[in-house]
Amino acid sequence: MEIVDIIKPDIDFIEKLSKDSGAPLKQCMQCGTCSVVCKLSPEDNPFPRKEMIWAGWGLKEKLLGDPDIWLCHQCGDCTTYCPRGVKPGDVFSSLRFMSYLHYSKPKFLAAFLSKIQNLPFIILIPTIIILGIIYFVTGLEIPPGEIIYSKFFPHKQLNISFSILVLLTIFGMMFSIRNFLKDLKKNMPPKKIKNTVLKSFFEAFKEILSHRKFNKCDNNNYRYSAHLMVFYGFITLLFVTFFAIISVIFFQYPLTFFNPIKIAGNLAAVSLLIGLSTMIFKRLTNIELSGNSTYFDWIFLISLYLLVITGVLVEIARFDSWKFAYHIYFVHLVLVWVVIVYLPYTKFGHMIYRFTALTYCKFIGRE
Amino acid sequence: MDIKRISIYICSGCEIGNSIDIDTLKDISEKEFQITYFKQHPNLCSKNGIELIKNDLNETSANAIIIAACSPRQNTKTFSFDDVIVERLNFREQVVWPHEANDEDTQMLAEDILRMGIAKVNSIIKPIPFIINDFCADVLVVGGGITGITSAIEAAKTGYKVFLIEKENELGGYSAKLHKQIPFRYPYIKIEEPLVFEKIKEIENHPKIKVFKSTEIKEIGGQPGEFSVKLNTNGNKNSLKAGAIVMATGWKLYDASKLSVFGYGNFNNVVTNLEMESLAKKGKILKPSDGEEVKSALFIQCAGSRDQEHLPYCSNYCCGTALKQIKYLREANIDSNAFIVYKDIRTQGHYENFYKEIQNDNRVFFTKGEVKSIAENEEKLLITIDNSLLNEEIQLEVDLVVLALGMTPANSAELNLNYRMGKGLPSLKYDFPDSHFICFPYETRRTGIYAAGSLRSPMDITASIEDACGATMKAIQCIEATKRGESVHPRSGDRSYPELYLERCTDCKRCTEECPFGAYDETEKGTPLPNPSRCRRCGICLGACPERIINFSDFSINSVSSMIKAVNIPDEFEEKPRILVFVCENDAYPAFDMAGFKRLNYSSFVRIIPVRCIGSVNKVWISDALSQGFDGILMIGCKPGDDYQCHFIHGSELNETRGENISETLEKMMLEPERLKTEFLEINEYNKIPEIINNYVETIEDIGPNPFKEM
Repeated sequence: MEIVDIIKPDIDFIEKLSKDSGAPLKQCMQCGTCSVVCKLSPEDNPFPRKEMIWAGWGLKEKLLGDPDIWLCHQCGDCTTYCPRGVKPGDVFSSLRFMSYLHYSKPKFLAAFLSKIQNLPFIILIPTIIILGIIYFVTGLEIPPGEIIYSKFFPHKQLNISFSILVLLTIFGMMFSIRNFLKDLKKNMPPKKIKNTVLKSFFEAFKEILSHRKFNKCDNNNYRYSAHLMVFYGFITLLFVTFFAIISVIFFQYPLTFFNPIKIAGNLAAVSLLIGLSTMIFKRLTNIELSGNSTYFDWIFLISLYLLVITGVLVEIARFDSWKFAYHIYFVHLVLVWVVIVYLPYTKFGHMIYRFTALTYCKFIGRE
Repeated sequence: MDIKRISIYICSGCEIGNSIDIDTLKDISEKEFQITYFKQHPNLCSKNGIELIKNDLNETSANAIIIAACSPRQNTKTFSFDDVIVERLNFREQVVWPHEANDEDTQMLAEDILRMGIAKVNSIIKPIPFIINDFCADVLVVGGGITGITSAIEAAKTGYKVFLIEKENELGGYSAKLHKQIPFRYPYIKIEEPLVFEKIKEIENHPKIKVFKSTEIKEIGGQPGEFSVKLNTNGNKNSLKAGAIVMATGWKLYDASKLSVFGYGNFNNVVTNLEMESLAKKGKILKPSDGEEVKSALFIQCAGSRDQEHLPYCSNYCCGTALKQIKYLREANIDSNAFIVYKDIRTQGHYENFYKEIQNDNRVFFTKGEVKSIAENEEKLLITIDNSLLNEEIQLEVDLVVLALGMTPANSAELNLNYRMGKGLPSLKYDFPDSHFICFPYETRRTGIYAAGSLRSPMDITASIEDACGATMKAIQCIEATKRGESVHPRSGDRSYPELYLERCTDCKRCTEECPFGAYDETEKGTPLPNPSRCRRCGICLGACPERIINFSDFSINSVSSMIKAVNIPDEFEEKPRILVFVCENDAYPAFDMAGFKRLNYSSFVRIIPVRCIGSVNKVWISDALSQGFDGILMIGCKPGDDYQCHFIHGSELNETRGENISETLEKMMLEPERLKTEFLEINEYNKIPEIINNYVETIEDIGPNPFKEM
């Protein structure tokens, strides 16, 4: 017989989760409507019913390492149909935020980033560091004449400094994923192994590329198209950036306007803008459908939005020789930092956690 | 028997006039019955029609009138006239509506109904009510808990004198033992001071209520309107009279030691929900074992309830009580945790607000589940719970376990009735007093004794208060009806009662034993002693009596026999078989009316005789009908069984057993047993009537004619 732990409810956790999600989660009466209406919930041990009682009982360990909270794509059906108004969708959303804080390394950074009162420092730190680097490299002077950004911040130094940051981020991410996976295994031990690790990885990847599960949420299906546009826009821009770095080293940079890579980059930016605009608009206008929007949601959406806008402006400024081109460029660089470096600690982290959880689910055959 | 001077009125409205030949009916009454007073009116229920009848009654010497119009269930008030016998012939719902208009068979049906009506009127007399000389209108309330107290106050407020009997030396019962009460008023989220104390104060100063504490009932005899009650107060004997009784002796807690899994008795810190009340009264809730403060408790719901091996039913009060006791714990110690394991949380109505309120507390934890084991572990109780909603077997460690135990009814034999049929109130299931659950929940099977509160059915205080009011109303109704010599439910207002021709009685005891209401006591020899005001006038004794000595003035062996014999049986069978249908007046008769109302068509070969209960059908009517030449006899009553619908408890059951005996007799007479059939019909099953009737007519047509026809 397996040894059962004596249940010890974590009252602080219940309080925090209730506060963060704004959901009256103790009101859950375990009717199971949420699991019945959910289109993504597996037949065996469906979510979100069981998570809701764990939440009410303050079983933090079970919840944060629960793969199922990552299978949810936040369509909000459960929240719409809940007869007690418990908002399981918002509870899940809060649980995911808690997971970023719980698993991200170093932990203090995650805690620091999660607080709205630290917002000035969150912006100030990259500003000062980037200013310092530029000062160190070029003396922080606005170059006269034609707009050539490398004159302001040479590409070599830019790429090297930012790549180091990205590597640090990836390093931190790997620690986080290791801890996360450990908990996934503990909370949902594989009864059987369905796929090899590699196959699971590709299956998860395929699912994310196709947005298949997203498309099942028909309660607010705008999210499917919006997320699809943002997703592909972002991926394309990652490739474009990567190619740009290669170009700096091997080819000519900046690329001409009609270079296919450049065209792809511009299209991706448009796609991102449309997708993000939709998301922001829906969050502002239809609170019922998009669920509770927290600081976590907004900081992520707005910084990404500003990143894309400044990116586009940087490009226009260059062609049109704007007076403030270098200033915009600087803001853009700060935003790159905010989005990329803070990635594992913010909502952006859903990329890695969801991908890990999906891969794990494919591995144990949980659909 | 006095001579009847009959006037016949026929209404030609509601399609009656267009569908049958009224002149022929007039001829029949003149030629066959020498009744010349026959009037037709286009709208008899109109003011003008009633005026016509009233004027005639003033001007002629008629002492009986026959109204051939709509069903007697319609326009009942309109067509009631004092001092004369009124017989209503159901021409509308049972002749013209369900049968083809201007058809030969429909016409024959109408003619037979007229003949049967005249025959009936000729063989009955207007009932003279049974009046008790030394009538007592006081109410006796047995049990001084919340139900009894409420009942006493309500009855006294209405102006009746009340005697309240309490076994203990204090009033209040269990409700006075409570620390607090479940919310009973808006917004239904706050626990309240027990209501009972206010009521006790009210009762102790009430001039119309006399309270007997520490008192037991030695014996109750008599009948509604004149119950004689013998009391024993601490050895002092006392006696009183009462008109009706409200029985509110309440409940007992289910015996926790029968539930071995919870270890009640072995572990000091496993307590019953009743014990929890006294723990809570002390302010801080302390562990019974060592007096330390309780920091966590588990409330086990349905402890033995909804369990086939213990109490198969829900006791209604335990969920609310557990929620209330959780509040005790949480208010006594702000850092305490309360766990509750349930089968279902049942908080009906406004109690849902209370449930939600308790749920809101972050330190209260609910789960469905089954307690698998309880063990003691260094001053803590370790509980293993299986099938929990937390997706697995779980373990809890708590200081205190509270068992939500169900209610079992008190023993109603405490009434000490000196009735022939036993001391207490007959029960149907789980020892709760039997009553017609749907129609008359407060009635017991002892007329004039009304069960209320958790003796009647498991319930909480709020429900008991309501129940007490209901039962008190019934007791008052009984007193008033009995005073007028009328029956109580379901034949309320009936003034007839069974009259026995004891000279011919063989002391066979069938009437005493078959009466569902224990109306008959008996002499040492076994001769029945009727108690007319205990009687519900169902006529089951009339149906049972082999000597046919029990009759009502307007419903007798003779009256029904005359009706049977009045039917004109045609010689030629092939086209015109005749089926006699005994129809229960309570459900089947209204169902026939509804079938007519819906214009459902069924065979017009049937001749319907309404009876008080299908159990009141006497064997002699069967032989009368067969010798008269009826080809088949159908009896339609209410559903018998554990979920019976018979308004007189087991009339349909008795009819079934008697029917079996008769079938054997039929076989001996070389008659097919199919010639006698019993069907059960619910009041809403009117749509089944054409099928039942037509199938039976077909069966009879297949068997062929009754060989006794024209013998």
